[in-house]
Amino acid sequence: MLARVGKPAPDFELSAYLDGGFKNIRLSTYKGKWIIVCFYPGDFTFV
Amino acid sequence: MGVEVLAISTDSRFTHKVWQEQELTKMVPNGVPYPMLSDGGGRVGTIYGVYDEDAGVDIRGRFLIDPDFVIRAMEVLTPEVGRNVQELIRQVKAFQHVRETGEVTPSGWQPGKPTLTPGPELVGKVWEIWKPEMAF
Repeated sequence: MLARVGKPAPDFELSAYLDGGFKNIRLSTYKGKWIIVCFYPGDFTFV
Repeated sequence: MGVEVLAISTDSRFTHKVWQEQELTKMVPNGVPYPMLSDGGGRVGTIYGVYDEDAGVDIRGRFLIDPDFVIRAMEVLTPEVGRNVQELIRQVKAFQHVRETGEVTPSGWQPGKPTLTPGPELVGKVWEIWKPEMAF
């Protein structure tokens, strides 16, 4: 399933850094809220 | 607005930690408050259409998802140009307004500007409510 507007968001689970620690985060645990997912090209890059 | 933010790059969670500690805390007091996810290999970026296989990175893409888990908006840029956060906030407010009222928001809509209520009585009458200069 590919991401398209008007269609359900493809779910995923990734490891994450948050509040000084590491944890796995699954997108669908935020179901019921408004969510913004931001991809970016890399830490320590310029823009 | 009540929005959860997730940031994703192909960097490891260890790199995220160092970036937060070494640089982001100098931009934002206590660092960014949202989770930084690690998409090594670009598996998730591929599904979202933002993984650049040649560069091995997820390019600049953002997706707005509503409480029903439906994607409402997306924007994808090559890395050289940064986002317009004001436009993202405007889109969040517009989609929240639509969801709450059933009204729709014409081009250039900002909170407080006129909305449209779809229906037979509006057919051919949009010109009476919405003028092209309102798009700017």
